[in-house]
Amino acid sequence: MVEQAVITEDEAALYDRQIRLWGLDAQRRLRASKVLLIGLRGLGAEVAKNIVLSGVKSVTLLDDTVVSEEDSCSNFLVAREDVGKNRAQCSLDRTQLLNPMVEVTADTDSVDSKPDDFFTKFDVVCALCCKPTVLVRINKICSENKIKFFCGDVFGYYGYMFSDLGFHEYAEEVQKKTQTSTTTTTDADGEPASKKSKTEEFETVVVKNSAKFCCLGEALDVDWKIPANSKKLKRTPSTYFIMKVLNQFMEQESRRPAVNTSTEDSSLLCKLKSEVLDKSGVTSDIIDDEFTQKCFAELSPVCAIVGGVLGQEIIKAVSHKDPPHNNFFFYNGVEGSGLVDKIGS
Amino acid sequence: MAASMKSVLAENVREKVSSSKILVVGAGGIGCELLKNLVLTGFVDIETIDLDTIDVSNLNRQFLFRKEHVGKSKAQVAKESALRFNPDAKIIAYHDSVMSTDYGIEFFQKFDVVMNALDNRAARNHVNRMCLAADRPLIESGTAGYLGQVTVIKKGVTECYECIPKPRQKTFPGCTIRNTPSEPIHCVVWAKHLFNQLFGEEDPDQDVSPDTADPELTAEAGQTALESEAKENVTGGIERKSTKSWAQDIDYNPEKLFHKMFRDDIKYLLSMSALWKKRRPPIPLDWNDLPNTVDGVEVQDTIRDQTQWSIQQCADVFAKSLNNLKQDLAKQGDDGMLVWDKDDDAAMDFVASAANIRAHIFGIAVKTRFDIKSMAGNIIPAIATTNAIIAGLIVMEGLKILSGNLEQCKAVYLNRQPNPRKKLLVPCALDKPNPKCYVCAPKHEVNVIINTKKMTVKQLEEKVLKVGLGMVAPDVIIDGRGTILISSEEGETEENNDKLLSDFGIQNMTILQCDDFLQNYNLNVIVVHRDKLEDDQEYVIVGDVSELQAKIEAETNDKTTEENTNGASNEPGPSNIEIEEDDLMIIDNEEIEQITYSKKRKIDDDIEGTPTAKKMRLSSDNVKNDDDDAVIIE
Repeated sequence: MVEQAVITEDEAALYDRQIRLWGLDAQRRLRASKVLLIGLRGLGAEVAKNIVLSGVKSVTLLDDTVVSEEDSCSNFLVAREDVGKNRAQCSLDRTQLLNPMVEVTADTDSVDSKPDDFFTKFDVVCALCCKPTVLVRINKICSENKIKFFCGDVFGYYGYMFSDLGFHEYAEEVQKKTQTSTTTTTDADGEPASKKSKTEEFETVVVKNSAKFCCLGEALDVDWKIPANSKKLKRTPSTYFIMKVLNQFMEQESRRPAVNTSTEDSSLLCKLKSEVLDKSGVTSDIIDDEFTQKCFAELSPVCAIVGGVLGQEIIKAVSHKDPPHNNFFFYNGVEGSGLVDKIGS
Repeated sequence: MAASMKSVLAENVREKVSSSKILVVGAGGIGCELLKNLVLTGFVDIETIDLDTIDVSNLNRQFLFRKEHVGKSKAQVAKESALRFNPDAKIIAYHDSVMSTDYGIEFFQKFDVVMNALDNRAARNHVNRMCLAADRPLIESGTAGYLGQVTVIKKGVTECYECIPKPRQKTFPGCTIRNTPSEPIHCVVWAKHLFNQLFGEEDPDQDVSPDTADPELTAEAGQTALESEAKENVTGGIERKSTKSWAQDIDYNPEKLFHKMFRDDIKYLLSMSALWKKRRPPIPLDWNDLPNTVDGVEVQDTIRDQTQWSIQQCADVFAKSLNNLKQDLAKQGDDGMLVWDKDDDAAMDFVASAANIRAHIFGIAVKTRFDIKSMAGNIIPAIATTNAIIAGLIVMEGLKILSGNLEQCKAVYLNRQPNPRKKLLVPCALDKPNPKCYVCAPKHEVNVIINTKKMTVKQLEEKVLKVGLGMVAPDVIIDGRGTILISSEEGETEENNDKLLSDFGIQNMTILQCDDFLQNYNLNVIVVHRDKLEDDQEYVIVGDVSELQAKIEAETNDKTTEENTNGASNEPGPSNIEIEEDDLMIIDNEEIEQITYSKKRKIDDDIEGTPTAKKMRLSSDNVKNDDDDAVIIE
C-alpha cells in the first residue's frame, strides 16, 4: 500500500486526539503523503487548513490567479491588502503557520502549463475551481498513475466534491456480535444475576474492503434518457444539475460567475440551464432559476461544510481507513441538504 | 468586501448580519471554526467567552492557536486570530466561565443569537436556561469524532436542551471496583481512587480497600472478615486513620505501598472465599519477584505511550511516579492536595501503572498508557473536519433565524456514512417543547428519589441541585413551613451543611422550593424517600410523576426482574436523567465538543414526499463529561 512514516513523540502529542480516532497506522500513512492542492479560494483555504492540520508530509499550493475582493468573504489564508497578488503565494504563510511540521510550498504557474509528469509526483491531487476540461485532463493523468483524484467547487450557497480513487482498498472497523452467553441461569450460590456476563456483546473487528470509482468525465456525461439512468433521476440530487450548469458557464466563459457582473451572469446562467439540461436529457423543471441568483462568490459556511467533507475524504483516501464517499457530495445551502451519490458507473 | 457580500446574501439578510450581535460560548474546537465563519460571513459584532487555556493537544484542530500560544486564554487568542480575517469586526473576549454570576440575564439579552460551542453538559444546561430566561434563540452544537449535530432552541417554540433527559453514564458498583474487577476500566477507576486517597481529597466513596459489605458475601462471611480485619491493625485497619496519613507516615515508600495494595489487600480479598467460587481468584504480587515479560508480539517503531509495560516495568513506573507525586504534594504545603490530571505525567504514570498491576493480579488484560489515558481521562477524539462542518451548519441556521425564518430551522446531524436516502447531513424537524419539561414547561416540578436519612444538606446542594438539576446558586425553602434550608448568600446556612435532610423533617413527599436567582429559575423538588436506592446510587431524578409510578411498580415486582433491568440501566431511558457526578468513579475534565443524541430522531419528509417520522438511532450513548464526571463511551 502506501509508504509509512515514523511518528515522533512531538507529533504523537500534537496529533493525539486524531490518533485516538483513526489510529497510529493511519497517521503514519498521512505523514508520508504528498498533496497537490489547486485553486486557493474559500474552499481551497478550508481544504488546505484541514489537511495541513491532519499532518500530511507536504502540500503544494498551485494557483496562478490573483486575490480579489471576493476572497475576503471566504478565504482566510489571504489578507485584505493582498488583493491583486497571487493567491498561492499569498496563502503560503498562513497555511504554514497552521502546522510547522508539514512542508508547504506555493507554485504560481497555471495548471494548463504543467506537463503530465508534474502531477505524478503527488499521492493526492485536489483540483478546485477549475473548468471541466482541466479537471478531466488531471483526472486522466491521476487515473493512469494511480494517484487519488479529488475536485470540488463552491458557488454561493452551493458546493460539491467529487473523487476518483480508482480501485481503492481500505480498512474498516465493523461491530461484530459475539455471543458470550456464559450465563448460569439458575443460581444456587447467591450470586446476583446482575453480576453475570451479558449475553450479547459487540466486538470491533477490522475488515479489509474495496471500492471502485469512475472518472469525472463519465460522471458528467451521463445520458439521463437511457431508462437505466432515468429511473435514478428522481433520487439524484438536483444540485448535480446546478453544478453542471455552473461548470458549463466556466467552460464557455473561461471565468466564474462574478459579483460585479451578476446581472448578466444570471441571465446567461438561465440560458445555459436550458441548454445543459436539454443536452443531458432532463426536463428544465428539475431545478428552478433561484440558483442563478445565489451562486456568486463563496459563502464561508458553505466552504466550511464542503471543505470539511472533502478534507476528510482526502484523509480517508491516503490513510486507507474507512469507506470513502463514492463519488459525489453535494451541499445545497438553500435546501439545507448534504447528499452523497454515486453518479456514473 | 461589501461589494462581494452583496450578491452572496440577500439584501435583508446582509443587513441583519452586519447589525446583529452574536455570543459564541466556547472558543475551542467548534468555537475557532465558528468565529472564522462568522467574521468571513460579515458578522462584525461578536462576543466570545471561554475559561480554558490552550493545550498542545488542541493544536491539531483549533486552528486559531499555535504552539507559542500554549497556556494562553483561548478566548483572547481566538479573538486576535479571527480579527486578522476581518479587521472590521469587533470582538470582545472573556477569559471566564459562562456560569459566573457576572453573566446574568441582561448580559444574554444583549445578543440576537447565542451560539454554543461547548464541551460539557453543565455549561450547556446553564446557557439553555439563561437563553430561556432572556428569551433569546440558542444554537446548540456538538461533535464526537466523525459525528456531529446542530440544533436550534427557542423558548416556547422548540424543545429546550433539557426537555429530553440525556442518557446517564455507566457507573460501577463500589464492590466491583474494590473487590471483583473484571474489566480494565474497573482497574483504571480503582487506580484513580487510589490516587485521590493518597494525594487528593479524602472521599469515603472512593475507598480502595476490600469491601466487607459486598452483597455477595453472606452476613457470616462478612463478619469473619471484619473480625480478621480487627486483628490486622498494622496494615488492614489503616483506613481508620486515613490512607493519606498512613502513606505520609511511611513517606510514600513504594515497596510498602505496593505490598499493602497489591499483596496484603489481595490476600485479604482471597479470604472472602464466597467471591471466588465462580471467579478466577486474584494472585497477590511480591515486590521482589515480579514478571518482566510482555505477552504477545513486541510492536516495533511505535510511540512511547503505545508500548506495553511488563509488570516489573509497571512497578518501576509506580515507584518513580510515587516519588514525583510525593514531591509535588510537599510543594503544596501542609494540608495540600493534588488533583488528578491526565496531562500531568506523574499522575498519569501512577494511574497507568497501578491499573495494570491490579489488572494483572485479577487476570484482566493489561493496557498501554495510551489506552489507559483514554479511559481515565475520558478523552473524546476530536478532528478539525467535523468541527468545520458543524460550525458551518451553525452559521447556516443562524442566517435563517436572522432572516426571520425560524420555522425553517432544523436539527442537523452529521453522519459517518450517508443514510439509505443518501443523506450525509440529516436534517430533522425541530420538536415542540416537552410539556412536562422541568426546565421550560410553565410548571417546574421534578421528583427526586433520595434517602433522607443518609443525605446531608450539602450533598443535596452539590450533587442533586447543582450537578443533577443544573443549578448554579440555589436557594431552597421547605414548602409549607418556610424554613430556609439552603441560601445562596455565602455563610447564611452553613450550619445546615452537614445535617441530614431528615433532621429538618424532610421525608417522603416533602416539597422543596428551589430558586436560582441567576438563572431566573424556580423548581419544586418533590422528595421521594427510599431507604435503599438501586445500584447504590445517591439519587435518581424522575421528571414525570407517571414515570415515578411505573418505577415504583417495577421496584415492587419480582426481584430478579429488577436486577436485570439494572443491568441495562445504561440504556437511555426517560427515567434516567443523567447523573453527572457519581460516587463510584471520578474522571477528570477533558475537553470535548460534543452533545448527546437524543433517543429519537424525526427524519424530514424526503424528496419523494413520503411522510416519515421514523425513529432511528444513529449513535450513541455518549455522554459528555465535566469536572469530576464519570463517562464511558459506548
